Amino acid sequence: MIPLHWYLWLSAVVFMVGVAGFLMRRNIIIMFMSIELMLNAVNISLVSFSRYLDDMRGQILVFFIIAVAAAEAAIGLGIIIALFRNKVTAHVDEANEMKG
Amino acid sequence: MLAEGIFIYLAAAITILSVLVITRKNPVHSVITMLVLFFHIAALYVTLNAEFLAAVQVIVYAGAILVLFLFVILLLNLKEEAVARRYVGPWPLGLMAAVGLFLAIIVSLDSFVAGPKGAFTTEVIKAETNTKALGKILFTEYLYPFEVVSIVLLVAIIGAIVLAKKRLRS
Amino acid sequence: MTLNDLAPLIPLMVIAVSSVIIMLGIAFYRSRAFSGLLTLAGIAVAFITLFGVQGTRQVTSLLILDDYALFYIGLILAASFVVALLSSDYLEGRRENIEEFYILLLLSTLGSSVLAASTHFVSFFIGLEILSVSLYALIAYTRNELNIEAGVKYLVLAAASSAFLLFGIALLYGETGTMEFSRMSSGISAQGINKGMLLTGFALVLTGVGFKLAVAPFHMWTPDVYEGAPAPVTAFVATVSKGGVFALLLRYFIQVDMHAYPSLFGAVAFIAVASMFAGNLLALLQKNIKRILAYSSIAHLGYLLVAFLAGGVMRVTAVTFYLVAYFITTLGAFGVVTMLSGKERDADAVEDYQGLFRHRPWLALIFSAMLFSLAGIPLTAGFIGKFYIVAAGAGSALWLLVIMLVINSAIGLYYYLRIIVVLYAQPGHSEVSAVSSLPLTGSLVLVLLTVLLLWLGVYPEPLIEMIHRMTMRF
Repeated sequence: MIPLHWYLWLSAVVFMVGVAGFLMRRNIIIMFMSIELMLNAVNISLVSFSRYLDDMRGQILVFFIIAVAAAEAAIGLGIIIALFRNKVTAHVDEANEMKG
Repeated sequence: MLAEGIFIYLAAAITILSVLVITRKNPVHSVITMLVLFFHIAALYVTLNAEFLAAVQVIVYAGAILVLFLFVILLLNLKEEAVARRYVGPWPLGLMAAVGLFLAIIVSLDSFVAGPKGAFTTEVIKAETNTKALGKILFTEYLYPFEVVSIVLLVAIIGAIVLAKKRLRS
Repeated sequence: MTLNDLAPLIPLMVIAVSSVIIMLGIAFYRSRAFSGLLTLAGIAVAFITLFGVQGTRQVTSLLILDDYALFYIGLILAASFVVALLSSDYLEGRRENIEEFYILLLLSTLGSSVLAASTHFVSFFIGLEILSVSLYALIAYTRNELNIEAGVKYLVLAAASSAFLLFGIALLYGETGTMEFSRMSSGISAQGINKGMLLTGFALVLTGVGFKLAVAPFHMWTPDVYEGAPAPVTAFVATVSKGGVFALLLRYFIQVDMHAYPSLFGAVAFIAVASMFAGNLLALLQKNIKRILAYSSIAHLGYLLVAFLAGGVMRVTAVTFYLVAYFITTLGAFGVVTMLSGKERDADAVEDYQGLFRHRPWLALIFSAMLFSLAGIPLTAGFIGKFYIVAAGAGSALWLLVIMLVINSAIGLYYYLRIIVVLYAQPGHSEVSAVSSLPLTGSLVLVLLTVLLLWLGVYPEPLIEMIHRMTMRF
């Protein structure tokens, strides 16, 4: 059997990459994807704990995390759309003012 | 030996792909890379006897969440514009913070001793399949959170509509 | 699981069902008054049903409805009742459809209530997510530039902090094999105490929770979000969301004895001191009322953590009383901001308040009372609250922390008094003071809050009695 430590190392690496992406990138969409990476890292460690502890509860939490991640993505992208609408409308208003 | 080989392939692929996700300039490339990444993570779940989660990973993460990302990127046609203020000044600092955190986790892994074992050994799960074992717990002990998650989704639906809806001009 | 198990959950179900009723109601008949009344009725009914829950009821391993949970749920419901009353007049004219606001408000109240009743990391996580996901939408609700910027900021940081929290939960789960608070403490003592992995897990959980509570050094988002969010939502973020998380934190660390981990204790003590100083010192530099109140809330969370670090039953009394006082004061202060806000922007510049006493003496007096309570002046609830915190800290011989608290109260006094001086100065030229008439409901709410504030400041015994009874059965 593969040692549990291997999975935990992998999870830590993916989490680190997610944190790095979150802190280093300025593109909101990519920052958001970095958060998804962090959540996936958590899921990897939870599933492997669940396997090595012979306990299903870790997998249940993963199930909930995936559901919540979907909800968070939906609302997050909603806010991003609103952000862009606002910027676009702001440009349109400026154009109208110029015509005076 | 085969199991180790598969793990090493998956681990290498996951690491490389996740680095690619955060380094692409074009968000569309990031999303596509992430899609491949999620398939690999699903395969990793299969090596951990979590077939149901592997399926959920593909269906929800790859099928729903990433498609949502793609839709928004296409809808807004955003590449460079979608920028926010960085929270940790210059990027090398962010990298250092991330690596520091990684080292903290790795060092603490040394002292790791797994907790007490539960009742779901591989044999038990094999006897009644992963999905059934998961479902049994989900619909007894975790019934309330399962119901409450529907409220999270309700909030997300209402919130997303409220925020993204076109403004009415009166 | 039987019908009997469902009975204690009725208060939570009432909130969920009333939000669904409002949603369906909007589909047929859009009316601000109708949705608002339904919301208030839903909260009121949920509050009344709280009294129907008898004794301590554990519902599966995830939720517990004991006196502690019921008290905090009651507090949360009362606060969101006030926010609902304040927001109805505020939202009018700021956005075309404002009915959905109430659904989101109810659901985030539900999330916070679930937190107060959680005894398990799964219910903790889900309660927290209901709360934060609806807050993203509430913060950006009126969709002007500031709102949306605040919403994006809160979204990104809250989502990242949830990821940290979850990684911490995963590590603790791996070490102890359980996610229940009560079993976790025995799991931890079985594992020995100073384990690197456990500490990393706790540190990650504290990082996640610290973001939600906005304590230093995780406070960067607070002033921006407080400034950008609509004033009633700011009141909600400052009270309901922090109250629920703090109730959960206290319950968790009653089960898991923090004094057994010197490094964890040290970390929380550091957070407490850093929050007090960061909050109070940075507040001195601000010229915006919402930002000042944001920094002051960071400092107040620092004070609360001092009581939290004290041991024994005393800390529950101190934390609970202080939270009640903090709720009343914060709601009152943001209530005044809400009432004075014009349609163009919120009344958040200090100049907007110059000479308020000449225009609106009553409002100025109410605002002064709230600020006095925040500063901890005698005869207000804030004073009694601070007294209990100092008593709890001194009782556990946390002298250094108590001295820090006293120093910080002195610093805090300065910027609260600065605002009060402005209130009674010569009137300046501000469009805000020219708001025609104040909404009646809002005025009544503010008067009621002020009465409560003074009542608790002069005669706190009934509330203290109530908290004592609650902690006895803990």
